[in-house]
Amino acid sequence: MAEIHAPAVRPPTILGDKTLGGITSDVFAPLDRRPTRLWWWAFLSAAAALLLGTVCVGYQIMVGIGTWGLNRTVGWAFDITNFVFWVGIGHAGTLISAVLLLFRQRWRTSINRSAEAMTIFAVMCAGLFPVIHMGRPWLAFWVFPYPNARGPLWVNWRSPLLWDVFAIGTYFTISLVFWYIGLLPDLGTLRERARGLRKKVFGWLSLGWDGSARTWARYEVACVLLAALATPLVVSVHSVVSSDFATAILPGWHTTVFPPYFVVGAVFSGFAMVLMLMLIARKVMHLEDYMTMRHVHAMCKVIVFTGSIVGLAYGTELFMAWYSGNPYEKFAFANRMRGPFGWAYGVMVFCNVIAPQLLWFRKVRWSLGAVFLITILVNVGMWFERFVIIVSSLHRDFLPSAWTGYVPTWIELGTLLGSFGLFFTLFLLFCRFLPMIAASEIKAVVASERHHAPVAEGVAAEGVTTENVAAECETVEAAA
Amino acid sequence: MDELPIPADAISAELEDLVFAGLPATRRSFLRAAGFGVGVAAVAGCSRAPVQKAIPHLTPPESIVPGRAYAIASTCAGCSAACGVLATCRDGRPVKLEGNPEHPLSRGGLCAVGQAELLSLYDSQRLDGARDREGGIGWDQADQLVVAELARIRADGGRVRLLTGTVHSPSTRAVIGRLLASLPDAAHVQYDAASTSAILDAHARSHGQRILPRYFFEQAQVVASFDADFLGTWISPVEHAAGWRQARDPEAEPPRMSTVVQFEGRLSLTGTRADRRVRIAPWETEPALARLVERLGVLAGGRAPSASAGRAETATLEEVDAVAGLLWQHRGAALVVAGAADGVAQDLVNRANVLLGAYGRTLDVERPSLQKRGDERALEQLRQELAAGAVDLLLVAGCNPVYELPDSEDLLAGLSATAMVIACSPSLDETAAAAHLVLPEPHSLESWGDAEPVAGFCTLQQPTAPPLRSARTLRATLARWMGDARGDRELLQAHWESELFARQDAIGSPAAFFAAALSRGFAELAPQPVPGAEAAAPAPAGSAFVAPADLVLVLHPQIAIPDGRHAHNPWLQELPDPVSKVAWDNCASVSPATARELGLRAGDVVRLNAGERAIELPAWVQTGQHDRVVAVALGYGRAGTDRFADVGPEWLQARATVESGGTIGENAAPLVARTAAGRVFAGAAVTVEKTGRRVELACSQDHHTLEVPAHLAPKGGEVRDPARELAFAAWQADPEHALHRGHHAPGEGELWAADHENDGPRWGLAVDLAACTGCSACVIACQAENNVPVVGKDEVRRHREMHWLRIDRYFEGAEGEERVHHQPMMCQHCDHAPCETVCPVLATVHSASGLNQQVYNRCVGTRYCANNCPYKVRRFNWFDYAHDDALENLALNPDVTVRSRGVMEKCSMCVQRIQEARSEARRRGEKVEDGAIRTACQQSCPTQAIVFGDHADPAGRMARLAASHRAYGVLDELGVAPSVRYLAGMNNDPLAPARAGHAETGGGHG
Repeated sequence: MAEIHAPAVRPPTILGDKTLGGITSDVFAPLDRRPTRLWWWAFLSAAAALLLGTVCVGYQIMVGIGTWGLNRTVGWAFDITNFVFWVGIGHAGTLISAVLLLFRQRWRTSINRSAEAMTIFAVMCAGLFPVIHMGRPWLAFWVFPYPNARGPLWVNWRSPLLWDVFAIGTYFTISLVFWYIGLLPDLGTLRERARGLRKKVFGWLSLGWDGSARTWARYEVACVLLAALATPLVVSVHSVVSSDFATAILPGWHTTVFPPYFVVGAVFSGFAMVLMLMLIARKVMHLEDYMTMRHVHAMCKVIVFTGSIVGLAYGTELFMAWYSGNPYEKFAFANRMRGPFGWAYGVMVFCNVIAPQLLWFRKVRWSLGAVFLITILVNVGMWFERFVIIVSSLHRDFLPSAWTGYVPTWIELGTLLGSFGLFFTLFLLFCRFLPMIAASEIKAVVASERHHAPVAEGVAAEGVTTENVAAECETVEAAA
Repeated sequence: MDELPIPADAISAELEDLVFAGLPATRRSFLRAAGFGVGVAAVAGCSRAPVQKAIPHLTPPESIVPGRAYAIASTCAGCSAACGVLATCRDGRPVKLEGNPEHPLSRGGLCAVGQAELLSLYDSQRLDGARDREGGIGWDQADQLVVAELARIRADGGRVRLLTGTVHSPSTRAVIGRLLASLPDAAHVQYDAASTSAILDAHARSHGQRILPRYFFEQAQVVASFDADFLGTWISPVEHAAGWRQARDPEAEPPRMSTVVQFEGRLSLTGTRADRRVRIAPWETEPALARLVERLGVLAGGRAPSASAGRAETATLEEVDAVAGLLWQHRGAALVVAGAADGVAQDLVNRANVLLGAYGRTLDVERPSLQKRGDERALEQLRQELAAGAVDLLLVAGCNPVYELPDSEDLLAGLSATAMVIACSPSLDETAAAAHLVLPEPHSLESWGDAEPVAGFCTLQQPTAPPLRSARTLRATLARWMGDARGDRELLQAHWESELFARQDAIGSPAAFFAAALSRGFAELAPQPVPGAEAAAPAPAGSAFVAPADLVLVLHPQIAIPDGRHAHNPWLQELPDPVSKVAWDNCASVSPATARELGLRAGDVVRLNAGERAIELPAWVQTGQHDRVVAVALGYGRAGTDRFADVGPEWLQARATVESGGTIGENAAPLVARTAAGRVFAGAAVTVEKTGRRVELACSQDHHTLEVPAHLAPKGGEVRDPARELAFAAWQADPEHALHRGHHAPGEGELWAADHENDGPRWGLAVDLAACTGCSACVIACQAENNVPVVGKDEVRRHREMHWLRIDRYFEGAEGEERVHHQPMMCQHCDHAPCETVCPVLATVHSASGLNQQVYNRCVGTRYCANNCPYKVRRFNWFDYAHDDALENLALNPDVTVRSRGVMEKCSMCVQRIQEARSEARRRGEKVEDGAIRTACQQSCPTQAIVFGDHADPAGRMARLAASHRAYGVLDELGVAPSVRYLAGMNNDPLAPARAGHAETGGGHG
């Protein structure tokens, strides 16, 4: 079916006329070399942030949740904001690897590995917060329904927090397995290139990958099956996370629009994060040939699309608040926009609704600097979206006597920074030790595109050639 | 706890043996001491009788079951009101104080201060043993010193002065009388920190007797109060509140509802509950009262001299005219009271009450109050004597003049010029620090005592625990100096069996009389005739002092810290003031208009200059206050309150409650004005200067009105209605529809079947907002009962106070005309509890009897339940709150778990009391009787605003209240089906222009 659309009307996915051997060396060579100075700087900064976060979390666990800025009325703030933010980030990975695989979007092959890795690291960051936000995190295992001698004491199946446990647990497991299975052919390649202990380790990790046709066939089937398993998770995980709010009775939380709203928001922020990482990685790891402007454009389109849905969701929320006729609901949204946290609402709307609209413009899409800025804005905006939902709804609810404010403490800010430290530390380690591009899949794409070369050449007459696309990219980048 | 499982006197007698006869008196008392002493000796090593070993109860004592509570009837010594208490004791120590329902004055109520007296018993900073300036000396040595000095004075002459607060203990008065009689030139001077001397002097002029009348608010259909905070801090607030409540019961048949009109400058607790409130400046009090007397005179058909209206606003006078008409209409059931320390004003009050026929009906001078008999003139004279160095021996007891009186430098100079100053004080307070000898007095819960708060009504105070400190009462001390080595109890009993026994004829034998008094806690006697005023009472000093000024000062006692004595009590320090909701501080309150004029925000530190004195205080913006008034609470700034420096949790961003060497709040006593007639608390001109510094006050409530901020208010949702109020007239006209109920009653139109099967009792509370005064007794009662920790100023600032029961205070209406609502808010024990569904580990669950239970052991602390609670009554243990003070820990209720860090907690509806009553009923094979279970908040409430009961028992008192047409559930519209029903407040203002009931309900339904 690929014959219908691509590559006839599209520039090729991979630039630079790669041979299969060339791909192998491009992708795996960095793993053999010593890390660059840039990598070290990035890694040390990330590790420093992680260390700071670890100290903050350690202090908080030793001393108490009181080291956060929470109070009797605002019981969640940075903790659950960070949790939802990181879960959302993870979504793009699953979407790219699973949904786009099912839809045979071959351009995904350049970014799916790192997007999946990102998912896993993001879910790890996310998973941290429900644990440390507990008053007694050492008893976190009580949220699992396991046979015990306490009665047995069971868990509360009606609590969305319990659904979270399963949603996040499943999500993490499937994402990890999917990512790992996808890694197998490349691990095989790594094993072949390595010597000594490395060879042994990669031999273990590659599960005896032998590259036979049978192995490849089973591998393909496994991938499709896992993709089919993971696809519903794209929708379910964030729907469940949104139930943490939607099932509550708090105005501003209690709304049926939340599941789709959250899922789209998650995809939105996830794509922004993937794009941001991709823009960094292609520069730092010199992978411009693999992560091309075509990828950037495709991702930009997803971002502007999902961003518009997010804008629609914000509008729907406001409409429903007005249409409900419920004074508490109306107040909650008036307060959200114009109350003490109105500035956060402003940041959210600007970053999530207004800024991505610039991506409609071709010039903006071609400017990598502008795209990079927008991806950062989107991530800031999406963090604030969760903050606004959580804090602005909580701090002024039903009884005016209970209204309070909220100011984060240094410990909370440090913990947020630390979660980014954890994420980037893991990501940078991943870049160093594992192929961040699915070389085996790229090879398939390159091979298939070469197969259709005559068609591409036909298009060349119209002016879109591999070379001039690459040249254009370079000019634009230089300008940026 | 109405009944005494064992005769209180038996226990007391045994304790007495134990304390005074040394150990071991009897095997049984030794065992009891062992049980108690092990704890105390282990933790503080302060027991007078060190216990070498603990002996198990192999043969248990007959009367005491270990772990089972028993009650001892006693008297509260928190203030001069002498309310009756039943001390709930466990294993030989009190763990909770309850009001004594049989007590005719307090009628079962006990205020916040009374509740907190329990904690001050276990204050680890109380003095242990006599001391001189160098340190501890033996009691014998101290006695020898004093006896030698007294002997010298008897021989050579010399002035002995005894300076005390009002002594209303008959036995102590007798001993004092004996001492004074034995000395050549001795006098007893009494004063009260919150003086009512002007009322006594006015009665000396009008009635020939220097007396303080007893007020019967239950008889008063109309009360006009001029700055008398009778529900909050004035004379005997529990008694007054109970009376006020008795006159106001919309559920009675026919409904009763008095009218209180409050004229005042600051916003007092009474002002918040007044049916009509008129803001007047202090200088308007006297002309307003003069106008009132004039109007009443005219109405009485006489011709009163026309009063000069020069200093009062026309609007005030118009109000006075209207109120005069109302009072006259209810003459015989009307009452005028005034708090001013102003002879002219008090004379006018007396004339008004005479004109209204109030004497003998709403106030009594036949059996007057003996609570505050301080004499400002005598105090002034003593100060002059001290300043002249003319006193040879000064004994200060039961008061702290260096702290409480203005011009303390002069006083200190006077003390240093005195040959011997002896202070009887439980702690090393400001006066004791300047004394040559300090003879600590015991706490009222560990010693014998008595009181005659109202002539002819004597209450007994008996020890509920062996003494924790080596201390001696003033009575025993004075007796010993006169060679009478009898113990406290013997002295007391002897006095009761001789003097007081003779004043009654109901009981034939002295011993039986004393035993009966012990068991009930009080005895009713014939009043002793009050001596006539010694000299012709002097003409009242003019009120020229109180003149119009740009800003004038009003100094007042506060609910939580009525005077400096209680400043060392952390429960009271952390109790938010019912009006301002500020804890851990006193402030300079100004009205919003004045704040705008001066450019002040709450927390700006200002310097108040009154005369030559100045203090610096954070400003507070208080709605409802007169624009020309700066109000400051007395009782703060006590030395040594920096003990609370580390009362809260310690962590990186924590701010100390008070800096080391600092004090909690500032002492405003230096600003009290001194005139020839004594101290004047209100009316001195003051200037307010900004210092440029700011502090963050610890206020438990951020948003003070029922109105949501105007710029956020949706149409139809401008005002919220958790607290509702009805006009009495509208209620009388149409009780059924006076309160616009929600669209559906709870349970109606439910889509889902009931969540919880329930065929037994379904517990609930009814809270009558028409009765609640906001006095906060319930808050402290709950804290004492349920081991609620003190968290310190910084945590309160961060809105992490732990009170299970809070009082929401809302203003409603335009600035200056606002109504005030007080609403006790505790866990509503919803039938469809939003907290229960969201807990992932089932740590909060529904009981079979309708309680919403919190399982601390199971809680992992996600705080989701608190987020989902629409009432925000759940409290989270943000830190491990300190329980380091082992002595203070003795106040913990053994029936209630002390919660650890990281778990959620909340009102349990005193489930331990429910369980106790249920198992008792089960043991007897009976049903739990209605009224057998009373929650701590209910028990303490002076106005019976809270009633616990069973929703499934329609005949029960609670269920009948819940079925009232005034009843509603807060946020009923959410469908969470709260088990706590509120009864709408009631405002009876016949002078208000007729308004539709709708406008009164706080914006109608949501």
